[in-house]
Amino acid sequence: MPRTPRTNRNRLILILLIVVCITVLTLYVRESDSGPLHKIQNFFLDLVSPISSAFTKIFRPIKDGFVNLWHLPSLSKDKAELQKEVANLRRQSIESKELESQVEDLRNLLQFSEENVQYEYVGVDVIGQSPDNWQRLMIINKGSSSGVKKYMSVVTDEGLVGRVISVGSRTSVIELITDSRSAIGARDQRSRELGIVEGGNEEIIRYTPMNEEADIKVGDIIETSGLGGTCPPGIAIGRVSEVTKRSGGLTRYIKVKPYARFSKIDKALVIVMPEPESVILREGQ
Amino acid sequence: MSRNRQLFLLITVVLAFVLQISVLPQFKILGVQPDLILVVAVVVAVQDGPVAGAVVGFFGGMLQDIASPQLMGVGMLTKTVTAFLAGMLKDFFMTYTILLPVILVFLASIFEQSFHQVTLSVLGQENMPPFRIGVLFASTLYNILCVFIVYPVMRRFRFPEKEDSLALKRGVAR
Repeated sequence: MPRTPRTNRNRLILILLIVVCITVLTLYVRESDSGPLHKIQNFFLDLVSPISSAFTKIFRPIKDGFVNLWHLPSLSKDKAELQKEVANLRRQSIESKELESQVEDLRNLLQFSEENVQYEYVGVDVIGQSPDNWQRLMIINKGSSSGVKKYMSVVTDEGLVGRVISVGSRTSVIELITDSRSAIGARDQRSRELGIVEGGNEEIIRYTPMNEEADIKVGDIIETSGLGGTCPPGIAIGRVSEVTKRSGGLTRYIKVKPYARFSKIDKALVIVMPEPESVILREGQ
Repeated sequence: MSRNRQLFLLITVVLAFVLQISVLPQFKILGVQPDLILVVAVVVAVQDGPVAGAVVGFFGGMLQDIASPQLMGVGMLTKTVTAFLAGMLKDFFMTYTILLPVILVFLASIFEQSFHQVTLSVLGQENMPPFRIGVLFASTLYNILCVFIVYPVMRRFRFPEKEDSLALKRGVAR
């Protein structure tokens, strides 16, 4: 190909550009970080960075939109997996709360048993309630195979719950102190006046002192007396909530609010005591 | 080259640089972004010859080098040489369709990136990024995609009379 002036000029320009490039490159490599080329570069970097940053902010929603579109096919699968995970976590959370509650109950029962070391206990779970409105019963998961016997007292850390009235090999039935058939020997902790606590199928129980003139006041604590042999003495039953005179003023009606919250009992302790002689005698008769 | 064409090329280079530092980093695919300045330089080399391409490559590379934390002069050198060679190579092809810039951008992309890496190696840069074939081909493909936008747009702006006559011919043919 013949060399024309135009071809020569092109080559000259190219050589000139390459020489400039190599010169800039050499100067840049040889100079220190505070050299003029570095300074120019740093100046332009400072100038360009905010522009780049601004565009990043502007284009982020668009970019995210494209990314979301790209991931669209796998979204339904991810959603199903996440829903499954959420369900698992929810179940675990419920189980964890349930376990926490059980641990709390057990801790309270343990504390109660440590404070009352004179008795032996059988820990029980409440597995059922009375099926009708006419009785206040509970079913527990321990029976004669665990050493549970009839008339043994059932307590929680809050106080007396009731006593065992029926024993199977693996389950037992508890008559709550609120049951209308329940009658337990009791006394006023302050005045030491003896009496009987009776249920009436209500949340409130009635305390009837033996002495009609007994000194009973609202707020007094009523506890088991231990008389009768079905219940050990000194177990809290409830607090006197109301003292009213009946018509004619001859008798008093003393309402006691039980400490035990029957609707929330999950775990309890059966106090292991020798079979009460008085009851055996009565049953033998 | 007329003054208007020179002005057009200057605006094109500056615009390509602005897009290169602002918009294109937001649209990385598989971690790579196209080299719009290289694409523009090659397209100019196809349309105006090797020297015009080399000048565009030189100024575009200079802007890129100044505004990025890399060795100043490498981008200028590689883009200048690459665009010039692309302009020389176009005479060896018998096609004047969009296939020509596509082939040239394909070759130019591979050459420019390899040249860039070799230059950095020769200069003994310690913090040189590792050379990966995957990145090389991904960015090459991305550059080729850009040709389908850049080439018709530049053709439309630079040679409107050709586009009009082409459209007229198409209309007659129908």
